[in-house]
Amino acid sequence: MRAFNAELSKLFSLPGIWLAFLIGAFAPALIASLDSIAQKEEIIAGVSTRLSEVGYIGLALGVQGVIILGVLAVSSEYLTESSESGGGQQITTSLTVISSRFHFLLAKAGAVTVISILLCIVAIMTTVSATYLILGEYAPAFEWSRLIGAVCYWTFTAHLALGITFLTKNGILPLAVLIINSSVVSFSVLLYRVTKLAFYLPDRAGAEMFMFTDNTSTGTLFDGFHTPFTGGLVMFAWVLVVFIVAAVVFHRRDVAA
Amino acid sequence: MSVSSGRKLTQILGAELDKLVTLPLIWFTLMGTFILNLVLAAAFTSVGVQRATGTQNILNIGLASMGYLQAGFIILGILATCSEYTGGQIRTTLITIPWRGFQLSTKHLALAIITIPVAFIIAASGVLYTFIMMRDTKIVIEIDTMITTLIGATGYLTLTTLLSAAVGALLRRTTPALVVLLGYYFIVSPLTRVFLPSNKNFLNYFPDTAGSYMYMPSSSDEISVLTPMQGTGISMLWTLSFITVAIVFYRKRDA
Amino acid sequence: MLTINNLVKHRGTREILSGISFKARPGRVTGFLGPNGAGKSSTLRILLGLDRATSGSALINGKPFAELHNPLATVGAALDGFGAHRMRTGRAHLRWIARAAGLSNSRVEEVLEIVGLTNAAGKRVGQYSLGMGRRLGIAAALLGDPKILILDEPVNGLDPEGIRWIRTFLRERAESGNTVLLSSHLMGELAETVDDVVIIKHGTIVADGTLDEVIGNHSTLEEAFFALTSENTGDVV
Repeated sequence: MRAFNAELSKLFSLPGIWLAFLIGAFAPALIASLDSIAQKEEIIAGVSTRLSEVGYIGLALGVQGVIILGVLAVSSEYLTESSESGGGQQITTSLTVISSRFHFLLAKAGAVTVISILLCIVAIMTTVSATYLILGEYAPAFEWSRLIGAVCYWTFTAHLALGITFLTKNGILPLAVLIINSSVVSFSVLLYRVTKLAFYLPDRAGAEMFMFTDNTSTGTLFDGFHTPFTGGLVMFAWVLVVFIVAAVVFHRRDVAA
Repeated sequence: MSVSSGRKLTQILGAELDKLVTLPLIWFTLMGTFILNLVLAAAFTSVGVQRATGTQNILNIGLASMGYLQAGFIILGILATCSEYTGGQIRTTLITIPWRGFQLSTKHLALAIITIPVAFIIAASGVLYTFIMMRDTKIVIEIDTMITTLIGATGYLTLTTLLSAAVGALLRRTTPALVVLLGYYFIVSPLTRVFLPSNKNFLNYFPDTAGSYMYMPSSSDEISVLTPMQGTGISMLWTLSFITVAIVFYRKRDA
Repeated sequence: MLTINNLVKHRGTREILSGISFKARPGRVTGFLGPNGAGKSSTLRILLGLDRATSGSALINGKPFAELHNPLATVGAALDGFGAHRMRTGRAHLRWIARAAGLSNSRVEEVLEIVGLTNAAGKRVGQYSLGMGRRLGIAAALLGDPKILILDEPVNGLDPEGIRWIRTFLRERAESGNTVLLSSHLMGELAETVDDVVIIKHGTIVADGTLDEVIGNHSTLEEAFFALTSENTGDVV
């Protein structure tokens, strides 16, 4: 428990976290508003094919906040200080305070979970308000099940970022890959046109948790493939695999490596 | 300044080139981008082969990966300038080469010298792969358009790299520079294009959209708003402006 | 010769340097002492053109750093940190500096020999110990065989052999007519090395003179330092 509190306090005192909070809270609302504005006439006329995506698309495309959160949580540990201070890293301090590396990993994952859930809730509030603001009475109702799916998607994404950064130690690669992947031009979207296997990629499958469409309408980026539950399961499996690999590598690695 | 500024330019340019060449991260980025390009070319080509009907332009498919490639070059640019701030190297640089504006411009020049051939090779390899794969289908290729388009693609990638380097010199830390640049090129820009098509006109004047006209082969079905030359001019203007701003701040700030 | 004249530096609302003046003369080793945060590093950074002074001047042979034609051949400096990127090898680091100053690779090997880093030159700087990194910084300062050496805490992290080597090396350089300015916290070591002493506290000079003058009636340099920089200073100079 103390380790968990320590990790929480570490995260909150990191300046970059505020960037993550800002983006996480407002980017989804912004994206959702843009989408709603673009679709407004169609929705009012009742011919919109993407009605079920209203609002949720912001939560799907606005995950960068939690990505930054997950990456920073780990890359801040490995940031090497300038050499006149002995080239130290925070990881040395962290590991001398907590005896078990596995507990350290769990505590960090726990802290990231709590913060991503909170961030997602804030994002949901801003997104829903933005959508209602723009669409007024035409805004569709937001179902609890799909919102929970969105929260899971955000949390799993944060954990993916966390796990990958434990492996790379440097934040550049995970940041670049995950940010690009969460955008409209994501790799997964490209790959699923090539092979059906791409539907098992984590972000693609995870998005199914809340972005499914009953009718396979062509105007959407998200043709349904899995049920929300299986989508969530696939993404969870990915998170588990990445985590186990990260845990094993972390356990065996010298800090000086 | 000293009498032989020509010789001084060669010396400083040599030093900046040395710096870039001896940084392993730069090579990793270039290699990674090259491999990424091949993978994407394979993906796009197989999609193109499946849709065998219709006039598939080899250039279009070969260069479809440009959107992703620019990520590698953005990282390259950021690394080139932000690596100065690791370990206090900026102090060594400024003590050795105190003429700040000159030094930063020469750094960008050295970066361009490295980027141009690599960008050309990467873009050309993508197109070559597509060409080899789709040789059987009846598609006409014109060497002239191919060369001009490749030059345009190389130019766009180089300008993007230089712009990222300037942003890196302004922000001085890798993570914020990454978030800002990737956020713009991959999130903000595509989204505004998707959601606000009516504003296409003013969007054309932003670096990435204007730059895309540098290498998009002009197709007869859609009307290009900008000619390739205009696209080149606007992109160059953006890059030069960012570099100028970076130099101004570089000269005034404490190291 | 280094001339600092009435240097003032503000950062935000704080005044870091309040009009300091001193000289570092050729043929002598000048020691620059002061508590943490006194303004030593700021002075050196302004002298080397890294920071901008609010007013006053810091001149090297009568010119500001930015106007030197061949900076590396005039002034060699080793400041805090290694000054090198962690992923480059030591040799590659020295080579690009040599290239910028128009020096050859053989000169790089010479300075590596002087500081004793020839064996470690092929390793990445990130793997260097603190002492090795300081030696690399000194090697970079020596590349142009400058007449003026400015060193910030050169002894920090060196082993006893390195400490003795630096002391002898700096004295030799001063005796052949070069100027050496070094800042340090190690009083005992400094007392063995320097000819002149400048003590700075809270951005003002509290002592400036030869070693004997500054020690004055105190028994050692350390005693003199604490007497001059303690809170109730104002009586003795």
